[in-house]
Amino acid sequence: MNKGSKRLLTITQNGLLFIYAIFALFPLIWMVLLSIKSDTQMYTTTFNFTPTLSNYTEVLLKTDYFKYLLDSLIVAGGAVIISVIAGVPAAYALARYDFKKKEDIAFQILSFKFAPEILVVLPLFMIYQTLGLYDSYFGLIWVYQLISMPLLIWVVRGYFEDISVEIEHAAQVDGYSWYQIFFKMLLPLIKPGLVSAALLAFIFAWNTFTFPLLLAGSKIQPITVAITKFLGTDTAHYGQLAVAATVSALPAIIFALCIQKHLVRGLSFGAVKG
Amino acid sequence: MIKKFVAVVLTALMVMCAGAAFADINWKAYEGTTINVMFNEHTYANAIIAKMADFEKLTGIKVVYSTTPETNYFDKLNTALSSRTGDPDIFMTGAYQTWEYAPAGYMEPLDAYIQDSSKTSESYKYDDFIPGIINALKWDLVPGHPVGKGKLWALPMGWEINTLTYNKKIFEAKGIKVPTTTKELYDAAVALKEHAGSGTYGLAVRGTRDWGTIHPAYMSLFATWGAKDFVTEGGKLVCKLDSKEAIEMTDYWVKLIKAGGAPQWSTYGWELCGADLGAGKAAMMWDADRGGYTQNVEGASAEAGNLAFSGIPLPEGVKVQRSNLWAWSMGMNAYSKNKDAAWLFLQYFTSPEFMLYSGTEGDCTDTPRQSVMSSKAYRDIVNKAEGYLKSFEEVSANATIFFTPQPYFFETTTMWAEVLQDLVVTNKYKSTEEAMKQLAEKLTDLVSDLEVE
Repeated sequence: MNKGSKRLLTITQNGLLFIYAIFALFPLIWMVLLSIKSDTQMYTTTFNFTPTLSNYTEVLLKTDYFKYLLDSLIVAGGAVIISVIAGVPAAYALARYDFKKKEDIAFQILSFKFAPEILVVLPLFMIYQTLGLYDSYFGLIWVYQLISMPLLIWVVRGYFEDISVEIEHAAQVDGYSWYQIFFKMLLPLIKPGLVSAALLAFIFAWNTFTFPLLLAGSKIQPITVAITKFLGTDTAHYGQLAVAATVSALPAIIFALCIQKHLVRGLSFGAVKG
Repeated sequence: MIKKFVAVVLTALMVMCAGAAFADINWKAYEGTTINVMFNEHTYANAIIAKMADFEKLTGIKVVYSTTPETNYFDKLNTALSSRTGDPDIFMTGAYQTWEYAPAGYMEPLDAYIQDSSKTSESYKYDDFIPGIINALKWDLVPGHPVGKGKLWALPMGWEINTLTYNKKIFEAKGIKVPTTTKELYDAAVALKEHAGSGTYGLAVRGTRDWGTIHPAYMSLFATWGAKDFVTEGGKLVCKLDSKEAIEMTDYWVKLIKAGGAPQWSTYGWELCGADLGAGKAAMMWDADRGGYTQNVEGASAEAGNLAFSGIPLPEGVKVQRSNLWAWSMGMNAYSKNKDAAWLFLQYFTSPEFMLYSGTEGDCTDTPRQSVMSSKAYRDIVNKAEGYLKSFEEVSANATIFFTPQPYFFETTTMWAEVLQDLVVTNKYKSTEEAMKQLAEKLTDLVSDLEVE
């Protein structure tokens, strides 16, 4: 292949990638465009309009938007922290130890993900009312374990299984206690996988709708539920809805960018087995 | 200075009058109680929330409330009511929902509270409610029996009738007369197709595959045409969607949408209908009168100020406009542990004093109280919208719920909307008659287990 053909190939590849990038990013671009359009220009214009920040002012300064965002951060963040604290030892036990009904228990944990939320929510509603957990942070963090815990346990279990047990035995021979092995050797080794699993769990928890809709509402309103308020009552305020959606996507994006290094390693870790 | 003095005196007088109006019952009887209220996100709820502090101050009752958008509101409410925990004490509902909730035992009848002079202030003036709306919220729990008899299950916050809203600027430019008959409506919808280029069209009506498509314009014309959904025959509910009137009307409706409706009609709910009217894409809309009214408020839409209101176009030989009505209301949970405190809440927020506020400053233009409707303050506000009050008064005289009350309301109307969609967007049926006959058979079968006597 001569130099000219190589150059043409590169240009074509980049051109195709550029077209794909526009295609993939178009919903986001469209959402941002809507967020800077006024209600009166929402349906009458496409790209040629007078940009305004009035939707941002309305949503961010005149409503409890940041309270809803904080509720989401507390609930989704809290759920992931609990899942990591309880899920990592559980994943280790399922990966390393042989005990009766091990696979049944693992499948049972996974099956929590299968149950449609609407199916279990009525008994949960009654239990929460009785226990005083309805409309509380603790109640939501607890129920979010149905979403984040199985994901985390199953992903992290795979990473533990990829680490040779001989490494642990060697460390024991060197005089390390089990706790030292776990915290100083195993956790650093699974860190990329743990980070990517935690991020996925956070995104799933952040996006959950049915549980916070039905098990909270007065004091606590995560953003997924609150966002629908911006549709409006008599007229649909799509601009405000776009602002609410755009800003609510930011925490997960920022979180993903911050841990990008671990994320790429974590997602490809164990992809090729020797 | 004098103006300020007069204002202070008038305010003091109003406060004293309000105090006197409420003075005959003990509003502090449930001081310290907490009640839970579930609102649908709506202007009606916003008006209450704006005055919540006044109620809490008057009664000493703490109100904990949640607001949920309509798309998810009833899922949340259904879960809460079916748990029978008594939370919420008060909830927003529509009349159709009471046909499910009341037979299930979730709702507390309100008649006894209204009749008890130790619980209800004389100034409440129950008879001041527009009879058609109050009747829509009464039912004897017998499937097939019309509304208007039996116990009162909820009290209205506001109501909506379904009339024609049109863009007078477009009508003037095209030299088209405001339609008063169904033939004129069809002709106007056809003439206004692509009135301002591709994507613009004549008439916006709802088309989603749910009950929301049937109950506004479609049901209003269905009733005006003289058709009925169900009748009681031989101790059973029998669907009459295969009657001559029902088939004729549906056939007309399908042709109307095909000829002059929105290109994406089957995705249209109230939001898109209103949005298209406000943007000038649709030249007319037949939906809840409030939908057009709010698009006409200055700054709300591109066509604000250009919208005007008319009644229901009549079929040949028909003289009476019949609008199906929707009434956002508040009901009490039968399992509430704070029923008397909850009644104080209901009473306060459906009182003539509050409703005057909500009908004027609170922006709830479709007031359910006659005293508010005849007040100058209310009429001055509403009269700013051309033809609104006239069409509202004309149509509301014969407005009621034209559906036959029965607990399968949502299933039957969803199946009905499905057939309507199939008739407009597919070739599944050879004719409207075939579709309606099959539908009538299915619906009769669906409600066959109901005890109607």
